[in-house]
Amino acid sequence: MNKMGTIIGFTFKNKVKTKSFMITTLILVLLLSIGMNVPYMIKLFKGDDAATNITQVGVIAEEGNRTAELLKAYIPPEGLAKVTVNQYASVDNADLKKALDDGKVEGYLTFAEPTGEGIPSVTYHSEDGELKGDVQVYLQSALQQANTQLIVGDKLTQEQVAAMFAPVQIGTEQLSAGVDGGEATKEAPPIINYVIVYVLLILFFMSITMTGNMISAEITSEKSSRIMEILITSASPLTQMFGKVIGIFLVGLLQIGIIAAAVAANLLLPHNASILTDFDLDLGQFDISILLYGLVLYILGYFLYALMYAAVGSIVSRTEDLGQAIMPVLMLGFVNFYLPLFSISNADTTLIKVASYIPFTSPLSMLLRIGIGDVAIWEIIVSLLILLVTTFIFGWLAAKIYRTGVLMYGKRPTIKEIRKAMKAYKI
Amino acid sequence: MEALKLESVVKQYGDKTAVNGINLSVGQGEIYGLLGANGAGKTTTMRMVLGLIYPDEGTILYNGKPFNSGLQQIMGYLPEERGLYPKVKVSDQIVYLARLRGMSTSDADKSLRYWLDRFDVPEYYNKKIEELSKGNQQKMGFIAAVVHKPQILILDEAFSGLDPVNVELLKDTVRELRDQGTSILFSTHRMEHVEELCRQITILDRANTVVQGDIREIKNSYPREEVLLRTAGEVSGLEGITGVTAVERQERGYLLSISDIAAAQRILQLAIGQSEVEHFEIKEPTLNQIFIRAVGESHE
Repeated sequence: MNKMGTIIGFTFKNKVKTKSFMITTLILVLLLSIGMNVPYMIKLFKGDDAATNITQVGVIAEEGNRTAELLKAYIPPEGLAKVTVNQYASVDNADLKKALDDGKVEGYLTFAEPTGEGIPSVTYHSEDGELKGDVQVYLQSALQQANTQLIVGDKLTQEQVAAMFAPVQIGTEQLSAGVDGGEATKEAPPIINYVIVYVLLILFFMSITMTGNMISAEITSEKSSRIMEILITSASPLTQMFGKVIGIFLVGLLQIGIIAAAVAANLLLPHNASILTDFDLDLGQFDISILLYGLVLYILGYFLYALMYAAVGSIVSRTEDLGQAIMPVLMLGFVNFYLPLFSISNADTTLIKVASYIPFTSPLSMLLRIGIGDVAIWEIIVSLLILLVTTFIFGWLAAKIYRTGVLMYGKRPTIKEIRKAMKAYKI
Repeated sequence: MEALKLESVVKQYGDKTAVNGINLSVGQGEIYGLLGANGAGKTTTMRMVLGLIYPDEGTILYNGKPFNSGLQQIMGYLPEERGLYPKVKVSDQIVYLARLRGMSTSDADKSLRYWLDRFDVPEYYNKKIEELSKGNQQKMGFIAAVVHKPQILILDEAFSGLDPVNVELLKDTVRELRDQGTSILFSTHRMEHVEELCRQITILDRANTVVQGDIREIKNSYPREEVLLRTAGEVSGLEGITGVTAVERQERGYLLSISDIAAAQRILQLAIGQSEVEHFEIKEPTLNQIFIRAVGESHE
C-alpha cells in the first residue's frame, strides 16, 4: 500500500508538471471563458445599435394617404426593431433628399398604382439597395396589418386587428404516465438538465480520452526506456498499474476541478448573471443527483477505460506503434460518447436503453437517461452493477496482460502469444 | 550459504532454448562474472535472477530461500539500456526508485547525495536525465541501482559506454561494494574487466555453459602456448626448435607460439647462447583467448 502511494504521488506530480498538461488545461479554461462571455459581448455590440439608433424609413405618399397613416400608426409587438416612418409628399422632396444624404433615413417606400382592394405592391429604395433583416420584418408586419385594416375598413377596431395578428401560443402538458403503474404526471426535464448533461458528456469524454492516452503513453515510454525492468523488480506489476491509473485519475479530477472552477467563476461575473435567465435556465431547477450519479459513472467509466488503455500500452514496445494499437479502445470511447450525444433530443430510444446496460457505453448513456430520460432507480443500480463487475474483471485481465506485456519487446505480440505468456504468471 | 544460487535453470522461448541448465553460485562479497557473446543468454539469466521472468526448470535461491517480494528491497539492478526517465529530474526519480525499494525519503535523499559526491557530480541533483551525456546517464543508472544499499547487485554491461577514467571510478566503486559484503553478478564482454574484478566466471555460449569456475584454475587448465622473449640482440634459429609453431617478430623481441611446454626451455637455452635475455615469459592464456577458444570451438 505504501508503494502504491509512492507510485500515485510520483505519477501525479510528474504529469501535472508536464507542459502539455498545463497548456491543455489553460487552453480549455480560456476557450470556456471566451465561450461563456460571447453572449455578453454580442449583447454589448448590439446594445449600442439598438438602444440609440432608431431606424428611420420614408414613405412617399400624398397627405391623407390611408396606407401611410396606418403605417405610421402601427404599434409593433415587443421584440421587433424600432422603426419610425416619416411621410414625404414626393421623391423629389428636399427634406427627404437631405435626410438620405445625412444618413438619417435609411430608405423610402413607394406604392405602385392601386389595382384593387388592399395595398398595392410596395418598393423599397435605398442607397445600397439592401433592406436590413429586422427592418424588413418590421415593415412586413406593419404593411400586413395595414393591408388587413384597409380591407376590413371600419368593421374591426385596430385592437381587434392587432389581436388577430398576435401569434397563437401552443403549450404542452404530458398525460399521466399510466404505463409505469400510474406514477404522478412527470414534468418534462428542465432545460438546465440538457445543458448539464451536454456539458458532462463532453467533459467526461474528453477527460477519459485524454487521461487514457496519458496512461498508455506513460507505460509505453517506461517500457521503451527500459525503466520498466527496474520498476518491475521494485514493486509488483499490479501495484504499479493501479498506482499509475489512480495517479492519472487524480490528474483528470484536478483538470475537471479547474474547468469547473473556471465555469463557476465566469458564471459569478456580474455581467453574466443575466445569461442564465436570458436562456431561460434556472439553476434552482437543477437536480444535484445528476452530478452525483455523473461522478459515480465517471469514476467507474474512467477505470474501465483506463485499464484498457493500460493493457494496450503495456503490449506496445515503441511509442510510434501506440497510436495504431489504441485504435480499438479509442473507437469504443467514440461510441460511448456519440451515442448519447446524438440521442440527446430523444433519450428514451431502445438503442440508448440497451447501451445503458453495456459496460463500455453505459457510463455516458446512463448519464443521459438519468439527466433527460425516463429511468427507474433499479435500472440505474443494475447498470452500475454490471459496470462495476466488468471493471473488476478488466482490472484482473489488464493486470495479467500488463505483467506479460511489459517485458515483451520486439514486434507487437499476437493475441495467441499474449494468452500463452499470460498463463506463465500469477500476477 | 551462498547469497545467490542457481541450480540447473532452464528457460525456453517457444522452441528456442535461451538458457540451458545453468548452475552458479555467488557468495557474499563476491563478484561473479557472466560472460558470453551477444544472445548467449546472459540477460535472460539475469532477468530470471531478478524475478522478471520465471525459469521453466530448476531453482534459484537467495540466501537459501526461493524468490519472494521481500527481495525487492535487497536487490539492485542496472539494466543494459540505462533505464531512467529521460524527462524527470535525477533527484526525483532516484528518490522515487529508492522509496519503491523501501527506503524513507530522507534516507534516500541522503544516500543519493552521498553517491553524487562520490562520483564528483553533486550538480546533477537537479538536472534531468536527458540533459546528461551518455556516460553520465550510465552513472546515474548505477546510482539508481545501488542507492538503497542492496545485498545482491545485478550489473548488466555496467561499463559499456564509459570513458577509461569513469570505468576506473566505477570499478573502484564495485570493489568497494564487494568489500562491504555485496554479492555482485556482473555481465560484460570486456574480458580485462572480468580478470580484474571477478574470482569466478561462467562463459555462456548459445544457452549452454561452456566454461565455468575459478579464473585461476581455468587459466591453468588451458595449455600455455605463448612465449614472450626479449633480448638485447638478434636471436636466430628460433623457427627451428622442436615444438615452436610460429615466430612473430615484435618491436622489442619475439612472440613464439608453442605446441609443447617443453619447447619453452629450449627457446630460453637458445636465446641465452646467442644474446642477453632481458625478458622471458611463458604467457598464461588471456581470458580473451579462452573465451574465443571456448565459444569458437562450440561453433565449429
